[in-house]
Amino acid sequence: MSETRWRCSPFPGPGTGGEWTTSPTGSPFVVPVSKREPTSDDAAFARHVLPEIDVLYRVALSLTRNAADAEDVVQETLIRAYRSIERFDGRHPRAWLLTILRNANVNRTRRRRPSLFADPEEGRRALESGDPEPSAEEEATVDLFDAAVAAALDGLAPRFRQIVDLVDLDGLSYQEAADVLEIPIGTVMSRLHRARRRMREHLAAEGLVPRMPR
Amino acid sequence: MSWWRRGQTATDGPLSCHEVAELLQQYLDDESDEVTAGRVAAHLDDCERCGMEADVYREIKAALARRREPLPDVSVRRLRRLGERIAAGGVTDPG
Repeated sequence: MSETRWRCSPFPGPGTGGEWTTSPTGSPFVVPVSKREPTSDDAAFARHVLPEIDVLYRVALSLTRNAADAEDVVQETLIRAYRSIERFDGRHPRAWLLTILRNANVNRTRRRRPSLFADPEEGRRALESGDPEPSAEEEATVDLFDAAVAAALDGLAPRFRQIVDLVDLDGLSYQEAADVLEIPIGTVMSRLHRARRRMREHLAAEGLVPRMPR
Repeated sequence: MSWWRRGQTATDGPLSCHEVAELLQQYLDDESDEVTAGRVAAHLDDCERCGMEADVYREIKAALARRREPLPDVSVRRLRRLGERIAAGGVTDPG
């Protein structure tokens, strides 16, 4: 029989076959142990899940603020998505995947010891370190306004900044952001409203935009 | 006519500036229904101050979009490979 199985146990026993691979944080995760014919579930996975991988990774970065943790969370999400794809009705795949991702992230934070909590800026630094050095020309064109917006974003409280990250940087809809944070959509709207208002106030104080109308 | 209108709360007439301020973020995020979006757009065309306010938030959103960083290639490649392997029937879940 050529059926392939996930290797879900963290402790492979002798004679179980298959290969192990390691996640960025060093924890083992599933690998294929053999090949079989593709099924309709595989096709559904390709259609609904593969196009969302970039978005899932962006959202995971916003949630974990750590590149390696984000990758682990997305891997877990892909595995869970495959396990439940036959029960997925094909509607709103992103919302479905974001719900899975949220749960995967909750499990990750539960597993993690407090002493291992990520440096909140680590993810950003990891991203930045992966970028090529900007050219002199690019440096020269860095806009004062963009820098002020970045400073305003950095000055927000985490729960406000997270909403801006999810909606403006990751491109999620309000409902998708509500799903991934497990909060009512009204809370997404009010936090976003307040976050942007604070950023706007910051820019007005810098003299970059007109003062708020009263 | 005052360009900063107040106190209009009719549900089917022109929106007041206060109402537009409440609806503006949804409108800019394409989260308004079609009718509401049309009413907000009409107000923004008509009201200089609200139109300017909308432009400020558009600029902020555009600056945030420019801030969007490229994803680390190595991580994305690894994740896509895993996804493609699953989709190609390379793995199944025992359940």
